[in-house]
Amino acid sequence: MAAVTLSGVEKHFGTFTALQRLDLTIADGEFLVLLGPSGCGKTTTMRIVAGLEDPSAGAIHIGERMVNDVRPKDRDVAMVFQNYGLYPHMSVEDNIGYPLKVRGVPRGDRSARIRHAAEKVELGPLLDRKPRQLSGGQRQRVALARAIVRTPQVFLMDEPLSNLDAKLRVTMRAEIKHLQNELGVTTIYVTHDQIEAMTLADRVAVMSQGRIQQLGTPEEIYDRPANLFVAGFIGSPPMNLISGQLSAGTFTAPQIDLGGLSPASSGSVVLGVRPEDITVADDADADFRGSVYAVELTGESNLVTVLLGRERVIARASRAWRGRTGETIGLRADRSRLHFFDRETGVRIGGAQEGNTSERDLQQ
Amino acid sequence: MTENSKRLIGRSARGIAIALVVVVFFGPIVWILATAFKEPRDVYALKLFFTPTLENIRAAFDTPYFVGERTWNSIVVTMSTLLLSLPIATAAAYAFSRFRFPGGNVWSVGVLATQFIPPVIVVIPLFVAFRHAGLLDTRIALVIANMSFVVPYAIWMIKGFIDSIPLDMEEAAQIDGASRLRAIWDVVVPMALPGIATAAIFCFVVSWNEFFYALVLSRQDATTLQVGLMSARTERGDAWEIMAAMGLIIILPMLVLSRFVQQYFAKGLISGSVR
Repeated sequence: MAAVTLSGVEKHFGTFTALQRLDLTIADGEFLVLLGPSGCGKTTTMRIVAGLEDPSAGAIHIGERMVNDVRPKDRDVAMVFQNYGLYPHMSVEDNIGYPLKVRGVPRGDRSARIRHAAEKVELGPLLDRKPRQLSGGQRQRVALARAIVRTPQVFLMDEPLSNLDAKLRVTMRAEIKHLQNELGVTTIYVTHDQIEAMTLADRVAVMSQGRIQQLGTPEEIYDRPANLFVAGFIGSPPMNLISGQLSAGTFTAPQIDLGGLSPASSGSVVLGVRPEDITVADDADADFRGSVYAVELTGESNLVTVLLGRERVIARASRAWRGRTGETIGLRADRSRLHFFDRETGVRIGGAQEGNTSERDLQQ
Repeated sequence: MTENSKRLIGRSARGIAIALVVVVFFGPIVWILATAFKEPRDVYALKLFFTPTLENIRAAFDTPYFVGERTWNSIVVTMSTLLLSLPIATAAAYAFSRFRFPGGNVWSVGVLATQFIPPVIVVIPLFVAFRHAGLLDTRIALVIANMSFVVPYAIWMIKGFIDSIPLDMEEAAQIDGASRLRAIWDVVVPMALPGIATAAIFCFVVSWNEFFYALVLSRQDATTLQVGLMSARTERGDAWEIMAAMGLIIILPMLVLSRFVQQYFAKGLISGSVR
């Protein structure tokens, strides 16, 4: 087990820049999730750590060792691929045992370790099967077993759950979390699924356009998004983002007049507020009023989309709440959970969880 | 015309067509089979019932036809071509499939384009080169000549299969601790085996049947069975019964091969993909 450090790592494909100056340290035993939309550079980052891709610049360390010129086989990492990367012509047992076989572990030791790894992912009775005779979930378990059959320094997981159906994904997610906890191996996990990221990670690196937009614990990323990209990307349904003017502690936008804010900044800003931080309110308490555009019952609550001028704002109402489309209702925003972003740069300029003081200095 | 008679005409037309195809394809083989066992005086008689004799086969193995030695030459040349071509073609197919070359696919297409040059042109410089190298009338020369047309086709057959193998598996193998070469051997080759087998059958068939290069590049020592066939055209006329006996030996491996692998071969040619 070891820490992984990327310093000044860049990757260019021809004229296309996949990664621009990435600095990232993953602590020993940490579960780090690289989260972002496709093409953001998350998979490239992982492949560079694996040695499947050479960085155009920068250094990669696994533990104390610089591994830039070390071949994948000598980096002492294990990887789980999106399409599992199983060897179709080998049995489950041979698949799991392959890392041991190529490393010259004697046959006798191998079968005990294969059995042990297979037990851990509940594959015991399937060792004689071929991958094509297995379901998607079982294949993924084989891939996991192959990763844990040795104790590598680092686990790399490239969207391992994206080919599974929704129900299985939840089960496997918990198993991966449990396994990583038990083994304590440093793990880098790539996904575009924010739920996976939030549930699995010790820390999340949100990536976009070849850059880390924000690096922090799931709570930090959710409660204090560093910029508009992170604010819009994390959360489902996404955070409401409303363009307007901020001056003298009042935020104004068409049909919105939100006063009583401690002056964070002034000028053109974007107000961010999560649906769960907006509630349906009586006329007396309402911050603003708008007509109901749609009501969606999710089971645990109602999602109410309200038209405010040109903007659509989503609020969360209780499960019992009933409203009709077209009806005018009042909404109240939780003042302690507002986020403000600079409209030009998209950078967070203050808001919730910061005592409403200017937090410009938090951003570089 | 009634429906019934229409159907009758259709059915008989189909019957005739099938019969025609059967005669065209199998007639010559039947003729060879029959003639090989006929007395020389019966050769021109189209009778199907005759007293079979093994005299022609015995004569073919004797002076001046030397079928024994020539069969051995054919076997050595064909097997050497096969054993050299397959590893080379597999390696080249892998390279063309996985690496980017300056100039793109100019190289892989170029390899195939060499086959558009007629052998009758290629054989002239080959002849001169082999004469300088002292390789004329050797089996080595024939192997090299055969490889010049076997390898390009084999590369393309195998490349199709390697193209369809996901990169994931090789990468998984490399992370699991295999060198690139080991990953190719452990993962790519087994997965491409249907393609390699198809190429092997193809190599065998075309090498075994090769006539032209062998004719030009051999005189006596390296003469293959196929060229040896010509020696049955003597100044006393064509010894058809000897030719038929030789022909029988030439088509024997093909008959055996087609019995066992035709299904496989067709599948390999059609699919070109693994799953």
